Amino acid sequence: MITGLAKSKEAAPPTRIAFSVPPALWRGATAFLLAAVVWEVVARYVIGNPLFLSPLSSVAVRTVELWHEGELQNHIWVSFVEFFWGFTLASVVGILIGIVLAEWRTLRQFCDPLLSMMYATPIIALGPLFILWLGIGVISKIAIIFLTAVFPIIINTIAGLTTTERTLIDVARSLSATPIQIYTKVRLPAALPFIIAGLRLSVARALVGVVVAELFGARAGLGFMIVNSAQSFDTAAVFVGVFILAVAGVVSVELLKFLEMKLAPWRFQSEDN
Amino acid sequence: MVAKLSTRGLTKSFSKNQTELVALKDLTIDVQDGEFVSIVGASGCGKTTFLRLIDGLTKPTSGSIEIDGRTITKPGQDIAFVFQNDGLLPWRTVHRNTTFGPELQGRPKSTFRKLTQDALRLVGLNGFDEHYPHELSGGMRQRVNIARALTVGADVLLMDEPFAALDSQTREIMQGELMRISQQTKKTVLLVTHQIDEAVYLSDRVLIFTARPGRLKEEIVIDLPRPRDLAVKRTPEFVRYTDRIWRAIEEEVRESIGLEVQNLARAKA
Ligand SMILES: Nc1ncnc2c1ncn2[C@@H]1O[C@H](COP(=O)(O)OP(=O)(O)O)[C@@H](O)[C@H]1O
Ligand SMILES: [Mg+2]
Repeated sequence: MITGLAKSKEAAPPTRIAFSVPPALWRGATAFLLAAVVWEVVARYVIGNPLFLSPLSSVAVRTVELWHEGELQNHIWVSFVEFFWGFTLASVVGILIGIVLAEWRTLRQFCDPLLSMMYATPIIALGPLFILWLGIGVISKIAIIFLTAVFPIIINTIAGLTTTERTLIDVARSLSATPIQIYTKVRLPAALPFIIAGLRLSVARALVGVVVAELFGARAGLGFMIVNSAQSFDTAAVFVGVFILAVAGVVSVELLKFLEMKLAPWRFQSEDN
Repeated sequence: MVAKLSTRGLTKSFSKNQTELVALKDLTIDVQDGEFVSIVGASGCGKTTFLRLIDGLTKPTSGSIEIDGRTITKPGQDIAFVFQNDGLLPWRTVHRNTTFGPELQGRPKSTFRKLTQDALRLVGLNGFDEHYPHELSGGMRQRVNIARALTVGADVLLMDEPFAALDSQTREIMQGELMRISQQTKKTVLLVTHQIDEAVYLSDRVLIFTARPGRLKEEIVIDLPRPRDLAVKRTPEFVRYTDRIWRAIEEEVRESIGLEVQNLARAKA
């Protein structure tokens, strides 16, 4: 019978996305190492002035120093708190607004141009105004982060909820689903990968938001540390701040990618299926 | 004897920016209990619309549909629909796709495992309960699609070109499987297809629709003995049936292509 044969051949697990493939990992690591060596050599022997470009080794040393002084932890913590609240608020509010606008077509048509404009505007440029309105404390930072992060989430939530494949809805209707069942069992799960993709876009924007908001005026935080260090010609400390942000960015984006893959594995299947 | 399924003067028109498009016109059809009826006709002649009307997914402009003498107004549990592009929920396993109908109807969860096992055995997919649709081939997904329609417990099965997306070998195998399933379950089946040999092989009766607006052009009773296996396709009687149906369809296909050409010309002018 055909099915016995089909089982072994056709039901093989699909190839997942490329970064789990060993050669790619290996090559990526090599590129990393090469870049580190080039940096060290250029900083030490070509430029030769640690004020312009501090060698990678000095950055490492400075990281340990700052950690021992206890200052670094404080900056990381402050930036983390701002990021956490700004991003969490943006996620919750963004998804809720997206859900409302997806259902309410007339309102959506009013809001669409506004949303596209706000999405494209570099809200961060309004940073100084927010500091003026809300002070140099944490609140102004949370507001800026919220505004930079919320629009991709709204837009993706709307897209996810309004582009449900028609056949899937027909299937549910044909099986006498109620409108509420169609929403909770078809449209919401179908929108979930879109929403997570929106969160992924927003995380990167929120991180930029943290730093730039702190550049405009703050008492602590990684952005504050970066400006301060630059003004006192501590170039190594500038790089310490940048590195920590880079790691935070990579980790949060990869985390959301992982979540996306767990929740919507069918979107990552190979082409040859 | 009252028909299992009957339509009376079924008409459906769509209005698209002020122009009225009549998709189906005045269809009166009776299908007996346990009968296998195929519908063939040119593209766009209203076959899908006809099935959607019977399932209650769209409302007729005029006319009525009855099942066991009761008028249909909305989707119910006495009819199951097998969609053309499998329509499986990609985030659900085969098991949870198969029991989607019973779940929506709030039937007791404790019965679901058995429902899936029975349905999957019938479509020849046993053991695939925990696979996800994207891990299956097109033919296997279509089997799950059929299994899902079977757990509804409906007497009438509507199928809209279920094998159109499959390669010809897989399609041939699936025709044999559908033959077996329909005989085992004794369901009344209404199958829309583009494959004339598929229609003849499976059916007790083939309905030929005219080009748009779809009306009943001709009705051919397939008087081949059952059980039929795939070898019947090479017999002279079988070939006579397919020739006859093809001749009837050919005019309609030409006409519908002519319509397309006219429409294109008008759109350009
Ligand atoms: N929802 C709809 N709105 C407008 N026109 C439609 C709609 N559904 C079908 N039609 C039109 O009705 C005609 C018949 O369509 P359909 O039933 O899908 O044909 P078939 O399945 O025979 O190819 C086509 O011309 C199609 O464009
Ligand atoms: Mg069709």
